[in-house]
Amino acid sequence: MLRFLIRRLLIALPTMLLIATLAFGLLHATPGGPFDSAKRIAPAIQRSIEAKYHLNEPLWRQYGRYLGDLAHGDLGPSFQYRDTSVNELIRQGLPVDALIGSLAMTFAIVLGGFFGIIAAVRRGSAWDHIPMFFAALGIAVPVFVIGPLLILLFAIQLHWLPAGDWEPGAVRFLILPVISLGFPYAAYIARMTRSEMIDVLGSPFIRTAWAKGLPKRTILLRHALRPVLTPLVSFLGPAFAGVLTGSIIIESVFGLPGIGRYFVTGAINRDYTLVVGITVLYGALIIGFNLVTDMCYAWLDPRVRLHT
Amino acid sequence: MKPPALHSPWQQARVQLYQRPLALAALTVLLAVVAVAVVGPLLSSYDFATPSWDEIYQAPSLRHWLGTDALGRDQLVRVLWGCRISLLVGVAASLVSVAIGVLWGATAGYAGGATDSMMMRFVDILYTVPFIPLVVVMTVLFGRNFLLVFVAIGAVSWLDIARIVRGQTLSLKQREFIEAARALGVRTPTMIVRHLVPNLIGVVIIYATLTVPTVILFEAFLSFLGLGVHAPLASLGSLVSDGADHLQSQPYLLTAPAVLLALIIACFSYLGDGLRDALDPRTHR
Amino acid sequence: MRALPRALLLLTLIDFASCSGESAPTASTIRVGTALAADQSLARTLDTMPHSLDPALVTDSDGSRVIIDLFEGLTANAPDGSIIPGIASSWEVSPDGRAWTFHLRPGARWSNGDALTAADFIYAWRHQVDPKTGSENAQELTPIVNATEILSGHAAPEALGVEAPDPYTIHIALTVPTPYLLDLLADAFMMPLPRAALERYGDDWTRPEHMVCSGPFMLKELVIGNRITLVKNPNYWAADTVHLQRVTYYPLDRATQPSRFMAGDVQYTSFFSPQQYRWLKSQLGDQVQVGPYLGIQMLAFNMLEPPFAGNRDLRLALSMAVDRQILSDKVRQGVFPPAYAMTPPLPGFQEPLPDWASWSDERRHAEARRLYAAAGYSASHPLKVELVYGTEPTTRDMMDALAAMWRVNLGAQVEPYNEEFGVMLQDLALHKAKLFWSGWTAGYPDPYTFEQLYKSGYAQNFGAYSEPHFDALLAAASIEPDNSKRYRLLEQSETLLNAEAPYIPLLYYSTLHLIKPYVKGVPRNTMDIDGSRYIYILEHEGH
Repeated sequence: MLRFLIRRLLIALPTMLLIATLAFGLLHATPGGPFDSAKRIAPAIQRSIEAKYHLNEPLWRQYGRYLGDLAHGDLGPSFQYRDTSVNELIRQGLPVDALIGSLAMTFAIVLGGFFGIIAAVRRGSAWDHIPMFFAALGIAVPVFVIGPLLILLFAIQLHWLPAGDWEPGAVRFLILPVISLGFPYAAYIARMTRSEMIDVLGSPFIRTAWAKGLPKRTILLRHALRPVLTPLVSFLGPAFAGVLTGSIIIESVFGLPGIGRYFVTGAINRDYTLVVGITVLYGALIIGFNLVTDMCYAWLDPRVRLHT
Repeated sequence: MKPPALHSPWQQARVQLYQRPLALAALTVLLAVVAVAVVGPLLSSYDFATPSWDEIYQAPSLRHWLGTDALGRDQLVRVLWGCRISLLVGVAASLVSVAIGVLWGATAGYAGGATDSMMMRFVDILYTVPFIPLVVVMTVLFGRNFLLVFVAIGAVSWLDIARIVRGQTLSLKQREFIEAARALGVRTPTMIVRHLVPNLIGVVIIYATLTVPTVILFEAFLSFLGLGVHAPLASLGSLVSDGADHLQSQPYLLTAPAVLLALIIACFSYLGDGLRDALDPRTHR
Repeated sequence: MRALPRALLLLTLIDFASCSGESAPTASTIRVGTALAADQSLARTLDTMPHSLDPALVTDSDGSRVIIDLFEGLTANAPDGSIIPGIASSWEVSPDGRAWTFHLRPGARWSNGDALTAADFIYAWRHQVDPKTGSENAQELTPIVNATEILSGHAAPEALGVEAPDPYTIHIALTVPTPYLLDLLADAFMMPLPRAALERYGDDWTRPEHMVCSGPFMLKELVIGNRITLVKNPNYWAADTVHLQRVTYYPLDRATQPSRFMAGDVQYTSFFSPQQYRWLKSQLGDQVQVGPYLGIQMLAFNMLEPPFAGNRDLRLALSMAVDRQILSDKVRQGVFPPAYAMTPPLPGFQEPLPDWASWSDERRHAEARRLYAAAGYSASHPLKVELVYGTEPTTRDMMDALAAMWRVNLGAQVEPYNEEFGVMLQDLALHKAKLFWSGWTAGYPDPYTFEQLYKSGYAQNFGAYSEPHFDALLAAASIEPDNSKRYRLLEQSETLLNAEAPYIPLLYYSTLHLIKPYVKGVPRNTMDIDGSRYIYILEHEGH
């Protein structure tokens, strides 16, 4: 296992480099620059701004400079928010996304897993059809409809919950965003869990256990759960990373100070450092979670031999 | 006495499918939606682009069954057109996506070792590529082309399927029948296509049907950024997006496209379930 | 009898050439007995998160909005938009309009208690015009002597034509008479800067713990993407006329502002969607406020290439075929008035309108068709062109409406084509679009700020319109010290623009706000300058 871990970490470094390069290259290839605006700017000032952000240097040198900073953990200044650095923006925004994201995933796993299993066990009954109907809905109805609908109901009509805003530590601001963000994932998980569970329940070894007279609960929790978890875990890996970098829609609907919005407005405003910085962060998270995921594969399914 | 009739796996599947009323119902509804989407606009006296200045933002009535939009255009016709576009994009891009994802994932999982590692690292990298600039660059490079929408969506959506398929392949690889086939000397490409892929069908079908809504919604996001369908055409996704902006003031603008969208997607899901049940040999009792 | 000469003196003071008044604070007058809320806190919105609160680096209108609460310049805007004394209590100008003298009030202080003197302004403007600072607003200072040389790098910032003979006097030397100078000085980028803070903290000086302000409020908290909290500045020279204790700005998507307003989270919004006007009015009544605004929505032609270059008939045909009344009444629910000429209504300016503006629809359409045919187009040979615009849902509806109008009224096939904003700017700079969406808002209340868009070589003159006679009229206007003569020249130049039609005016913008009934004293003016200084909250219940 240790060799596996080391090998993966060694591969991770060039991967991160590749990610950073790809993001850097793509952004610079996109037409338009960060300081294009509808205002006219005197050439001397344009030159000065470009010098300050090293935009007047040849691309390879900018790239080298960026990598050097990256090695020190410095993601550079933001081109959009001229008083702030990318590190600062991420430091401010990431905790919000992390909190909401992890709560949303927990909500999704618990809700989705629970209903998925029950639907599989009581297949064909109301316990199957009704949750699966809602699951289909959860996948079909976009987040930018769920969010405003919840606001309409709970904030505007009932005044039970705030329509948005954020205060660290205050629970009431978390409820609607977590539900809006988590519900589509709960739907995916419910469907997937159900289908995998049905698969497993029909397999010979479960039938054997059943024939042996093992109690239903033991069968379910001890034997059936493991194989179900494999595809689930491989779905969760990238889903976690996606959720963590923030759903831009959730952030804009609820006015949350996360980094997902920076990403899109950064791309639109060509904030090179911000977008590349978030991409690198995203990359690191994905690689990290993939590692965890693959280790879980091995633990869950002993038949998979980890090639070292 | 006649010998028992030999059914091919597909014939068997069809029999199984007929025994599952929900899946059949889903298929019927889908076909009905497609029929209405194709025929409906031809029967209507309204078209999707001509404004009617005095009929702006009208609630549903006998004249306009689903009401009118911001320019007085008949919402029913626009929604039907939206169905056409969304279905087209959804199915086409999903097929592209599934094809790439399955081949990639199965190959990676079966090959194992360095090849697997390399291929999956490539998937990881693609996950992190910022997709807005990517699509913007592609737009500029290829000009304004509807095909571009499929390519862009297909290029971004095959990743999940690849991952899942690779995971399943890793598990399947250790199964006895694969060992047996290998012992018999079956070559790798045949192995992948003939033995692995059919056993992946269940998972792949579920994921294909799960990809359709993702694709349709991604197309809405692209339309929102100006890179999907061009006005005055609209897809269900962009109609829903517009409707959500007017949730309080003109709720009827959201209802029809959202319901249709949900319906199409639910039907794909139930159908996928049914097909999976029908085709997956392990669940036959 | 002694009162009369005093009154006459006051009357003559409302003269453009000089202004000298008492340093009387112009707070909104609240009637005695009005019940004010105990908690004078206001929650209001911005459309976007400001990129910077540094007056030298501000680039967006939302940033300016907040800066005007934090800082005060030599002059300020009264609630009705007119210019009143700010840090300067009085000023004079020379007869040729090129030399101004400002007298600062001695009691003015920074928020940390330091005295606010002329040196702070001199430092700020030199810093602004210095190319090393990289300010995108530095162009606005070109009327000041030597500004152009400094901007091109040929002179040091110290050469700027401003000086402070003593701590409370400032001389400004101009290259051309600039009637809008007083408006300029009230702008966000002309604010004084605290030299000590900038030198000590560098780029970090705008953090709440370091920032030093000269205006009615100070910065308490800044959470990027979430909110900006201001509290009353006790060291502001007119602090006793400021009622609000706390102002919180929330950057919110335009689409979500009305729902947050209705939930009671915010009490004053910076925007609402025109297409929701009727519905909002039915729900909120007088809380929906619409007012005139100095801005125009229009389309512009590419004057360098066919089909529009050299084809005035075609341009006029397209312009006439647009049913502006329908756009205004139906598509925008009556919120934006129709525009037939470049400059929105301004007092003292006789807007020249094309004669066809008052024709009946039939007559106008007939003439449009005649011109269209004269330009060489017909049913069998229709005009086919793309209409380029930046992606935005509300703009899309306008484009669809216009395309439909041209199809029905002329038989022309105009196809709306949306592009991501950054890509569109590039296309426009390269003159690739033939017909494109454009808009313009006033930098100050003057026709020149609109007409200069069509000056040869002006950076945003994306259509590359160039007409020497027009340029000559603008040049003459810019050196004319007498304002009414100046307006006559600008009327002539605008008449020329109307005849040449390098653009299609569509609608004028309006100010759009939702205001809770207990929020009073909100400034209403055509520049939409709505600082929090004059606002107060009445006692109220609920949201």
